[in-house]
Order: sequence, then C-alpha cells, then structure tokens
Amino acid sequence: MEKEQQKKTIEALLFLSEEPVKPDKLAVVLSAAPEEAEAMVRELQEDLFSAGRGLQVFETAGGYQMGTLPELAPYLEKAFSEDISSNLSNAALEALAIIAYKQPVTRIEIESIRGVRSKHVLENLVKRKLIKISGRKDGPGRPILYGTTADFLKYFGLKDLGDLPQLEVEEEETKTVQHDEADDNSAQA
Amino acid sequence: MVQQEEYTIKLPTFEGPFDLLFHLIKKAEVDIWSISIADITEQYLAYLQSMKELNLDIASEFLVMAATLLRLKSKLLLPRAPRSEEMEEEEELFEINTAEELFQRLEEYRLFKEVAHYLQQKEEDQKKVFLRSTGGQKVMVFTQQESVYTIWEGAHHLSDIMQRFARVALAGEYMPAFSAVEDFVISQKADYIQSVLNQKKRAMPMKAFVTKTGLWDIIVVFIALLEMSRQGKVNLLQEKPFGAILVSLKPESEMVEKEGESGERTTKKDY
Repeated sequence: MEKEQQKKTIEALLFLSEEPVKPDKLAVVLSAAPEEAEAMVRELQEDLFSAGRGLQVFETAGGYQMGTLPELAPYLEKAFSEDISSNLSNAALEALAIIAYKQPVTRIEIESIRGVRSKHVLENLVKRKLIKISGRKDGPGRPILYGTTADFLKYFGLKDLGDLPQLEVEEEETKTVQHDEADDNSAQA
Repeated sequence: MVQQEEYTIKLPTFEGPFDLLFHLIKKAEVDIWSISIADITEQYLAYLQSMKELNLDIASEFLVMAATLLRLKSKLLLPRAPRSEEMEEEEELFEINTAEELFQRLEEYRLFKEVAHYLQQKEEDQKKVFLRSTGGQKVMVFTQQESVYTIWEGAHHLSDIMQRFARVALAGEYMPAFSAVEDFVISQKADYIQSVLNQKKRAMPMKAFVTKTGLWDIIVVFIALLEMSRQGKVNLLQEKPFGAILVSLKPESEMVEKEGESGERTTKKDY
C-alpha cells in the first residue's frame, strides 16, 4: 500500500473505531510492521494538528483512538447530552490510586492504607469495570486480589500503568519491612 | 430550653481518619515527620468534639484513631513499659504502635491521596474528549475482547455436586423435591427429633430422622436440626465435609456444669 493511502486508512480506521486500536492491529490492516504503523499514526497526529482540525488522535490503554479536542467540550456539550456516568467519588479515586500501584492487592491492604472500610467502594468500582478480581492471595482465607482493567486506562486516558506519576517516596526502607511483618503476622494467624 | 435554630454549616468531609489528620497537619503547616503527637491528638479530638456538637455521625474508624492517638500520647508521657506487656488486640486497620509508624502511614496515605488528585485531573481532562459512538453497528472484525473473568474457587465443587446429584436423581433414588406438595412444618419435625432423642438417649445419625423418601424430607430434617442447634437443644457433629452428621441432645444440666471450663462449646450465658 502506498504511504498516503496508509495514512488515510489509519484515519478512517480510527474514525470508525469506538475502542482504542492497538499498533499490531493497525499493522495487520496496513500489511506493515507495527513500528511503521505507529510512525504513520504520529504523522497523522501532526497532520490533524497542523491543519487545525477539531479531531485528535491520542494514545490510550495501549492503543490509539480518535476523539475531539478538549477545548471544544463547552460547545459540543450543547449538542450532546451530558455524560450519564457521574464523576468518581474521592473514596473511589483513593481506592483506585492504591490499586493501580499496589496491584494485585487485597481489600484489607487497601483499607489499611485508607484507614477506612472500603467494601462498597470496591464493589462499585468492579461494577464500573474499572477494577477486576485478578485472583486470590495464598494464605488464610484466600482473600480476593484486585487489579485495574483496560477500562481503567481508557477512563483516565492513560497509555499504560507506566503513565502514572512516580510515587515520590521520601522515606526509608522501613516501609517494605513493615509490610513483610504484616504478612508474617497474617500467616501465623 | 431554648429552641434550637436550624442552620447549616458546611464542614469539609473527610474520607477517613487519615484524611482528617492530614488536613490538620496541612493546616498547622508542618511536615508530617515533625508533628507533635500531643498537638495533633488535641486537634483531632477537638474536631471530633465539634462533629459531636453538630450531631454528626462519627464513623467508628474515627474513634479508633482517636484511641490510637491517645495511646501513642500516653506512651510518650509514661516511662517505657516492659516489652513483655501484652498489647490488646487491635483492629487491623490501625496497627499503629509508635509515632513513627503513624507518620509512615500518614506519609503513605499522602502519596496515594496525591495520585487520587492526579486521577481526578485526568478524569476531568478525559471527559472533555468526545469519542465516536456508532451504537455498535459497525463491528470490528479483529476486536479481541479482553474478557474479565471472575474466578470463583468454589465453581468446580458446585459442578461436582451437581453431577453427583444428577447421577442420584437419574438412578431414581430421590424423588423430585417438589413433586409432593406436603405441608411439612419444621417445628413438627423438630418435635419428632426431640422425642426420638429423648427415647434413645444417645447420639443418632441424621438420617435416622428421615421418615419419608424424597429430598424434601431430608431438607426439612436438616433445617429442623439447624434450628434446634441454634436454640442450643442439640449438638451436631460432622467429622469431615460431606460426612455423616451425628445428632445428640444437649442435656440441660450439662450446659450449666460445663460453663467456665475451657470448653469446645461456647454458650452465651453469663455467670
């Protein structure tokens, strides 16, 4: 396929797709290497930008997706009814933050960091498909382990988990020691 | 008494005790690692007090934290207690025994609080980007759904039970449970079990009380036994999962005598 043709194809593909499209899928369509496809996406991104278009291509959840420019939101909201899904509560955001970094993580571990019982918060997050049950921990009671989903990345517009900010840990190694102790205690119980 | 005027006060809401502590520390403009336990305890309690005055519900977590803070404070005032001293069992939510531990937990909480703010910002940003929604008319042929599987460990047990049940049911050993609409009353069954046990004066297997064929009667016996066990009338013994269940009467006298002994049985009576 000719290069210009490839770029048009990507544009059309991303226009049609409701979900992020992964580079290897693009590659299959273009019959090109994934790296080539990604280079093409970047060109398309620049084309859209320099042509002053209302659309953009962004990276999310390990793929590419086409959406509108954020600055158009106030106008578009007049035409499209507001998003039904309400914003997440502070409690939900706290729980998500902990899960994102500590996954797989149990409810008890989340509660111990938050200092608050979090059963309902977790249930709601599972319902919204932002987190999932990723397995069970070996140990007494085999507690459920939680992890984030691809929807989590999409919801926050993150490329992958590495896109999250680094935790600026100011303090010493005692933190990990403390955790080991906690594990030992629970193992004995 | 003066009639209370109705008024509304907007208090900041806190996600939990750590959130509140963190707020107090920020207000005091000090670093987490340099707060004074005495000061922070005082402020924390003052805040709880004002919540109380406003008739606000105080979640138990806040109270446990108050107790934790007071203990930390008292530890700082008192000479070091011998290490052997038994620490009362605490809620695992606040296994905090030293001021350093408290600071660490606060610091950890602060980190995740920051991430939560970051996520909130991203959420706002992302809401401004409108995505295409075709209502699912065009289906992407290569969209591989990354399904979310829920792992339920008991699943294979359930299928095992269902298979076993199907085998028995097919062999005709059990009548379908609801074929005969018979008016079994649990209490009648319980009376029957009681009379049999009174008569025999020994432990009996559960199946001894099943008088009719059919699953229904077994269910009634089982529920009756559970009820009797709850009422403290019988002891139930099952040595292994799916094993036979032995039933024995719980003698009235035994309940009194055995009390106080470190027994396998727990009765709810006080001295």
